[in-house]
Amino acid sequence: MSFAPLDPILHNQLRLAVVSLLVSLEEADFTFILEKTGATRGNLSVQITNLQEAGYLKVTKTFKDNYPNTKCQLTAKGVKAFEGYVKAIKEYLKT
Amino acid sequence: METNMTPQESLQLIESMIGQAKKSFSRMSFYFLLWGMLLIGAMIATYLLRGVEGVWSQGGAWGVAGALGGVISSIYGARQDKAESVANPMDRITGWVWATFVITMIIMIVCTSGKGQDPGAMITLLTGLPTFLTGQIMRFRPLILGGILFWIAGIAMYFTGDALTLTLLYCGAMLFGYIVPGIMLKRQEDVVRTA
Repeated sequence: MSFAPLDPILHNQLRLAVVSLLVSLEEADFTFILEKTGATRGNLSVQITNLQEAGYLKVTKTFKDNYPNTKCQLTAKGVKAFEGYVKAIKEYLKT
Repeated sequence: METNMTPQESLQLIESMIGQAKKSFSRMSFYFLLWGMLLIGAMIATYLLRGVEGVWSQGGAWGVAGALGGVISSIYGARQDKAESVANPMDRITGWVWATFVITMIIMIVCTSGKGQDPGAMITLLTGLPTFLTGQIMRFRPLILGGILFWIAGIAMYFTGDALTLTLLYCGAMLFGYIVPGIMLKRQEDVVRTA
């Protein structure tokens, strides 16, 4: 029996955590994701950029109370990739 | 953060993060406590002033409570929206549930008052709907029970004409349908926010 390969973009603990968090939200601030994932600011920033470059995340930079504010939103491509990833790991777990 | 996760670890991480997202509801307890107190106050004022001539015997207290609650809720909501770091679709759905309730309630008040009828029982019945739905959306049992209580109180109010009984039924429904769940929700929100 052959298994579908796991998406290398999502098969990373922090990237998967970010996408899993955003899948049931409309959007979230960088600080919210930082707090919920417990990651370091630098690592999170790098992984968000990776997800953005893969087309999984839409990142909007705005200002909130005169401070820079980064908002992240899962794209349709990101949702589809997440669904595919969940389906694939369920197949792995069936065996 | 490591890359080599087993499928089991991946699934656990996904479940954990989705659980975190579900806890990101906006603070709702403020509205239940505010409206619960204002509406109990309006009901008691209406009961005490029932013999007085003029606007107070014709629902003036409800107008004051509605206007005050509307202004305070709007200011609080605008501040909360500005401060929130996350947009949860469940918040938006809950907001629309309450908006449709307010619209229906206003139409009901205009229609029944125009015919000289007391809209109290019908509004209490109607209040059960958004309260019950909010409880289901948030998976918060005290609000679900609160919604059921409003339905029971509404039916009981429909079959009584006694002013004191009406007042006690309405205030009881508000106390156990809004204020008690509001206090419990506030405790839960405080725990989630400080966790």
